[in-house]
Amino acid sequence: MPSEECNMKVRINNKQHETQAKTVSELAAQLQLPAKGVAIAIDNELKPRTTWDDTILQEGATITIIKAACGG
Amino acid sequence: MLQFISHYTDKYSYLDSIRLALQGGCRWIQLRMKDATDDEVRPVAIEAQKLCKQYGATFIIDDRVALVKELQADGVHLGKNDMPIAEARRLLGPDYIIGGTANTIWDVKAHYAAGADYIGCGPFRFTTTKQKLSPVLGLDGYRRIIIEMRAAHIDIPIVAIGGITKDDIPAILATGITGIALSGTVLRAANPIDEMKHLTNIVNHE
Repeated sequence: MPSEECNMKVRINNKQHETQAKTVSELAAQLQLPAKGVAIAIDNELKPRTTWDDTILQEGATITIIKAACGG
Repeated sequence: MLQFISHYTDKYSYLDSIRLALQGGCRWIQLRMKDATDDEVRPVAIEAQKLCKQYGATFIIDDRVALVKELQADGVHLGKNDMPIAEARRLLGPDYIIGGTANTIWDVKAHYAAGADYIGCGPFRFTTTKQKLSPVLGLDGYRRIIIEMRAAHIDIPIVAIGGITKDDIPAILATGITGIALSGTVLRAANPIDEMKHLTNIVNHE
């Protein structure tokens, strides 16, 4: 089966993205976000970095990343 | 997203205001002490940073790039009369959040090109917090700026600021604005923690 099957559609800074990341941590790794100087909100709610491992991404989530030139 | 900008009243110090905001669920704090020196700001900033770490909140300081670097805060917010964003980016490198104040789409474009991570855009309406005033934007001003940002493929978050009350929040977020910055309105409430909880609820559920 094509690998897109496990891709999830999310919006990152107003752009559609497909990701295989299951958590915010995995998404941050996939987008190669730096280890500091980044803030991420899911559906408007800012998520402390300590919760990134445990925060599960949902299909259709609206994600805001405060880091220039991310999620390109 | 809600950003709280520190403020003081007869009743509450800068640090109190930050503590109340964190207790009320805000996870993005800007320490702003406009007329103080770096030496006056440093001890407050150190305590504020500790509080923010405790709550997992993002901690940025208004204007003071050197202090941000010294304390390794999460970032800096630069107003129109502060250090240019490109220079701050050069001094801080990529691992700090840099926000810039914009009143027009031209400001937004210039800040984005200079390497800003987010925009603080206002004033939404007339405010007494800031003495140097730019023309108020209102909802139409935000709508126009959002349309032009999208046309220019500028995808950094944009936070509305300036005289915003809780009743304004849904309509502002409906324009495509990604966040709200608040200052005075929280401390003026009878119970600032409850007020902040209410405000974070409104923002997080829009």
